Amino acid sequence: MAENSGTDPTVDSNVVENAASDRTMIVVTVKTPKDKEEITISEDSSVAQFKEEISKRFNAKQDQLVLIFAGKILKDGDTLNQHSIKDGLTVHLVIKTAPNDTISSASSSGTPQANSSVNPSSAPNDSTTPDTGPTPASTQPPNLLSGFGDLSNLSGMGMGSANFMEMQQQMQRQLMSNPEMLSQIMDNPLVQNMMSNPDLMRQMIVTNPQMQQLMERNPEISHMLNNPELMRQTMELARNPAMMQEMMRNQDRALSNLESIPGGYNALRRMYTDIQEPMFSAAREQFGNNPFSALGGNLDSGVQPSRTENREPLPNPWGPPGTTPLESRGTGASTTTTTSAGGTAPSASNPLGINASGLGNGVFGSPGMQSLMQQISENPQLMQNMLSAPYMRSMMQSLAQNPDLASQGSNPTATTNPSQQQQQLMQQMLQMFAGGGGGSLTVTPEVRFQQQLDQLSAMGFINREANLQALIATGGDINAAIERLLGSQPS
Amino acid sequence: IPACRTPGVKVPRNFRLLEELEEGQKGVGDGTVSWGLEDDEDIMLTRWTGMIIGPPRTIYENRMYSLKVECGPRYPESPPFVRFVTKINLNGVHNSNGVVDTRAVAALAKWQNSYSIRVVLQELRRLMMCKENMKLPQPPEGQLFSN
Repeated sequence: MAENSGTDPTVDSNVVENAASDRTMIVVTVKTPKDKEEITISEDSSVAQFKEEISKRFNAKQDQLVLIFAGKILKDGDTLNQHSIKDGLTVHLVIKTAPNDTISSASSSGTPQANSSVNPSSAPNDSTTPDTGPTPASTQPPNLLSGFGDLSNLSGMGMGSANFMEMQQQMQRQLMSNPEMLSQIMDNPLVQNMMSNPDLMRQMIVTNPQMQQLMERNPEISHMLNNPELMRQTMELARNPAMMQEMMRNQDRALSNLESIPGGYNALRRMYTDIQEPMFSAAREQFGNNPFSALGGNLDSGVQPSRTENREPLPNPWGPPGTTPLESRGTGASTTTTTSAGGTAPSASNPLGINASGLGNGVFGSPGMQSLMQQISENPQLMQNMLSAPYMRSMMQSLAQNPDLASQGSNPTATTNPSQQQQQLMQQMLQMFAGGGGGSLTVTPEVRFQQQLDQLSAMGFINREANLQALIATGGDINAAIERLLGSQPS
Repeated sequence: IPACRTPGVKVPRNFRLLEELEEGQKGVGDGTVSWGLEDDEDIMLTRWTGMIIGPPRTIYENRMYSLKVECGPRYPESPPFVRFVTKINLNGVHNSNGVVDTRAVAALAKWQNSYSIRVVLQELRRLMMCKENMKLPQPPEGQLFSN
């Protein structure tokens, strides 16, 4: 590394300005569990100086940074030399998200923390802790809870916290990752009051710009929103996870009934593309990812079964990485959206993404649905395609996380589905998902788990076959795979 | 990352430990555990310090746990001794002195010579994520076990 006095304008900004020392520059990799950056710094620097650079690069305050090297915490007063930190080595970084610990303890803290608690209604605080890792970026578009925004703004003034957008993002994120929180919030009387006023709810939803777009695109949706009965049902459901499950089960059943109607598949598919796709595009804009976009793309208006997986071998719900952004998004964000899916295409009646209305009323009653059902009945292949599409995967993931749900979901389909083939298909898919196995189509598990396999073999698990099996069984989760491997190894 | 270990070949202790030293410095792994020699001058490569970053969504979240790992003369044929320095309430760790019970940790109980310090640390971290552990009440941050 050439000695650099910092006067060269073309040098990029991460070079330490060597006012202090003109010694050799070294490149140190700084790794967080989520991120990795290379930082150039003088080899004589102190840990404090190092942290200064790091805080710039990672956008975090210096006192939030904890550096670990070779199992030791680096104190500000130490020097890199002291710890033998040399060029090319890696230092681990943990960014504390708040100066006071954000560990959620059994006792819910009444005092909201600096940038975290959001509750417009001072409902559960212990679960409103922000995620670990980098502070939330406020680059996300306004979320669905913008209706809550006013309220949270109010409390925001009291708390003097960061802008309410951030809070909303966090709340949203919390909600997405923690369905219990949602029901907790719902249980809060203030929220319930609010929700029992359908007009207010509708208002909130309508003011969300994405929803407005959605409504423009699809008048049926605004029609639904205008139906107070439906809204109320939605709220009921949101409030009551058990009821939600019930609903989903109903939908499962109803949907599987559809399978038996000739031409039913087409209808379902069209229902999906016409209604849900824009719906979820809107939702996606908030959540930053659209598990359904691929589906929307795959299902052209014409019947194109050949594009998606065929039946033998069983289609891979996860699909090739290219078409499914889902994997990158992880299941956290998709939990709420997709738990709703149950065994069915989520109804568009619930703007929160929670599957609401039973098929008997609401969406399915409309004339649109009738034609959909006709179409579906004309082409069974479509149904399969739809079911095997990427969005199923996200649903499957959430199902897998909640095995109860999965079993609920699979039972009705098993019992009510008259057609042997589809029954098998559904069961197999659900099992496959629950079992974590995957038929591979264009991406073999080996390729998918390449990285994990490498890690495992680096750890000394040399039996590649076994590693692969374990990874498949655990869906790529290295830690769980290790557990499996250790459990199965002869002692 | 070194090439696959051929089964049946016994790598000499120091070679192994030097390898682990290098991995520790290069940050091999997912960045949630760290390890290194306690004393750079320790030519026997016996005493190591480890660090585990408490996994998210558990009560250990955001905490850093310091450990002492001792690789005896028969390492890697024999498992290392592991002891928490930072106070922790975790099944398998003695409440009084932080010593990790060999029988409670699968990697130690069923030790293989292909395992390493990293494997042990990662396993301990995984234990923190188990249902039976993830909500155990913890002592205030910063406390250490008394020897």
